[in-house]
Amino acid sequence: MSDISEQKPRTGEDGGGSSKEPAALGMKIEDLSAFYGSFKALTDVSMDIRANKVTALIGPSGCGKSTFIRCLNRMHEIIPGALAKGCVKLGDQDIYAKNVDPVRIRRRIGMVFQKPNPFSKSIYENVAWGARINGYKGDMVELVERSLRRAALWDEVKDRLKESGLGLSGGQQQRLCIARTLAVEPEVILMDEPASALDPVSTQKIEDTMEELRQRYTVVIVTHNMQQAARISDYTGFFYIENMGDPGRLWEFDETSKMFSAPDRKETEDYVTGRFG
Amino acid sequence: MPRETFQQELDRLLGEVVDLGREVESCLGTMSEALETHDAEVASGEIGVDAHYKERGAEIDEECIILQARQAPVARDLRLIYTVQAVTNHLVRAGTLCEHICQAIAETADAQRDPDLEAALLEMSRGARDLFRQGLDIFAARDIDRAHGLEAADDRVDLLYSEAMNLAVNPGKDGSGSPEWRVQAALTVHYLERIADHGVDIGERTVFLVTGERMESAMRQYRDRQLDQYDD
Repeated sequence: MSDISEQKPRTGEDGGGSSKEPAALGMKIEDLSAFYGSFKALTDVSMDIRANKVTALIGPSGCGKSTFIRCLNRMHEIIPGALAKGCVKLGDQDIYAKNVDPVRIRRRIGMVFQKPNPFSKSIYENVAWGARINGYKGDMVELVERSLRRAALWDEVKDRLKESGLGLSGGQQQRLCIARTLAVEPEVILMDEPASALDPVSTQKIEDTMEELRQRYTVVIVTHNMQQAARISDYTGFFYIENMGDPGRLWEFDETSKMFSAPDRKETEDYVTGRFG
Repeated sequence: MPRETFQQELDRLLGEVVDLGREVESCLGTMSEALETHDAEVASGEIGVDAHYKERGAEIDEECIILQARQAPVARDLRLIYTVQAVTNHLVRAGTLCEHICQAIAETADAQRDPDLEAALLEMSRGARDLFRQGLDIFAARDIDRAHGLEAADDRVDLLYSEAMNLAVNPGKDGSGSPEWRVQAALTVHYLERIADHGVDIGERTVFLVTGERMESAMRQYRDRQLDQYDD
């Protein structure tokens, strides 16, 4: 199989700077297992992640949610000894196929982390940098503004784009990181507890961006905030470890409305109602 | 268990609803007795209970709103609070209807009656009271296995309703029963049918509480299961 980015030419990749954006793609995961050395952290996860939908992943600590999400853009293998087995497809493309470049995958499937991590650069450069090193030759000013608008940050920073990104509040920094991810025009955005370090107002602003993001991207979000999952997601996956030392499993996956009103499995209901343990 | 306080609040709420239900059930018993014995005094004793039921219903409703605001319930907790609010409404309305019937009994205690219509009324009264009690018992014990019998019992009450209404609008040749009594009897027939429906609804709400499924869907599954059993 050839490199998937070669199979599907995309805006900006060839430096053309076309205003045409790629359509969001869904992901299909089949029998995914993840290891840290000999330790199996996650086993046999199969899931369809729908395009232009927000999929929330919930579950107790250590059940493999973050490991799973990091397998979705080949970040897991960055850790020495870490390994993923199984099939992960972006659209029809197996992202673990031999000649697929993981760096290109990580651009098509962007990630926002728990702790905001802006570069020690200006707000403008934080957004422009990733696109520039990817060879974007379009209107960079327009790209930066568009990305900041979609991350709901533009109005707050438009008059100080040359100031350091590190001077922003925590919530603004996180939205800057979202804008930075959007600037390389991904199809899927992975978010690993993006609001867990933020105050309620900043959290609300991040949640408010979700509706906008859903229009153009496929979003997967790990969250420990059950109400956040209920508020913002279309689908919810509950990860669970049945016995101490076992690998994490996808215990139940369904529409969010179902998962938070009448889930099928007792463990899911115990978890979402806070009766766990 | 985590959220122990919340669970205690839910348990208390559930207890309050069942207590209110038992009060209404007791009122239905008194009403049935007064209907049978034409006892105006007994019936009059229940006049005024409606205000009490409405007050309790409003208090329970308020508790539900506060719990939703404070605890952000989901899944079975959300279903419980939703069901409590719905069941409370059924209880209060059944109580109101019961008071209306008691009022009618008190006002027509000495009136001339139609024995056939009265017999139908008494049978309906027993059926409605039984259905209400069944619905409440199912809710209190969350015993949804019993819920599938409600529809058939309600069909019997509906049949009695048709018969009683027919008697009410087509008096016998002797014209027995005063017009005043006949009008009150027709209204009572209607109220009893509604009380039976409230009992059925309380049972069906319990199916949703326990399974998350609407009764129609649960009943369909139940019927399919029965057919499968016969196929075997």
